[in-house]
Amino acid sequence: MSVQKSWRELQTMARACRIVVDTLDALEAAAVPGTTTMEMDRIARERIEKAGARPAFLGYRGYPATLCISINEEVVHGIPGPRRLREGDIVGLDLGCIVDGFFGDAARTVAVGHVSDEATRLMKVTREALFAGIDACHPGKRVGDIGHAVQSHAERHGYSVVREFVGHGIGTSLHEEPQVPNYGPPGRRERLVAGMCLAIEPMVNVGRAEVEVLGDGWTAVTRDRSLSAHFELSVAVTPLGPWILSEPYPYEQAEAANA
Amino acid sequence: MPEAAGRPLPGAREALEVPGTVQEALPNALFRVELQAGKGASVVAHVAGDSSLLRLRPGDAVVVEIAPYDAGRGRIVRRR
Repeated sequence: MSVQKSWRELQTMARACRIVVDTLDALEAAAVPGTTTMEMDRIARERIEKAGARPAFLGYRGYPATLCISINEEVVHGIPGPRRLREGDIVGLDLGCIVDGFFGDAARTVAVGHVSDEATRLMKVTREALFAGIDACHPGKRVGDIGHAVQSHAERHGYSVVREFVGHGIGTSLHEEPQVPNYGPPGRRERLVAGMCLAIEPMVNVGRAEVEVLGDGWTAVTRDRSLSAHFELSVAVTPLGPWILSEPYPYEQAEAANA
Repeated sequence: MPEAAGRPLPGAREALEVPGTVQEALPNALFRVELQAGKGASVVAHVAGDSSLLRLRPGDAVVVEIAPYDAGRGRIVRRR
């Protein structure tokens, strides 16, 4: 199907994205010392199903859980298990769901109890990098402008961005074209057009950018075992600019003023 | 959930091959090609591989490949 979504389709995507973000709120509250990552996965699955949606990751390319939970040097795709969260951990929570055939996808990294200043700064900068990328989502700009905004922000603070994993188009599949790297020169790659939906997701490391995948085939960790953070939101490109799909449509007033 | 970089996506859309006619030769071995389909729609296209394509003249009939995203750019794959 076309990468451009109709207004009606965007409404459905927004419902899916809101369920994901509401669930992330609940998971953030549950991320206290002693909670197992399996328990977090159960909370995620129950909330998604209670909201009338389906988990998007469960079974995707054989992924065995609802939630990806990536602790400290784990970058993304950590599989839930018996491990308990500990005071001082930073925990990446990545979650997706399906509503009426449309996917929502979002992630954030949260602190368990009190964490180091470096960890706090890393999370702040990564989140800011995500919003720098979102700000580039205007029709006529290009996918490379997003990556450039993300990379510049992260590197300005002395951090590095992961290259092996990228954001992606989203819609009736979890991963659609185009790929949305968190790096690269501005003005390159696909042109943004209204109706495109993109999952923008910077993965930022304190140390070097390289990652490796562990023996389970999923869990990606920083090769130098430095801390890593990950924030993600699904965004629609509209004629007036970005719409973060988990939030209310932001341009109603602007449109009324023009009408 | 991030995608592994570089790998083609399942169900990735292929570039579209469409017939067109060369309108003008531009610098850097680029050509403006008018598409047969759209009403006067044109793309800026570079040539693929075959150096005989570099000698295209306005009016030559060609087949252009258009990227699924950027409908303004193409690649001339052969004469027709």
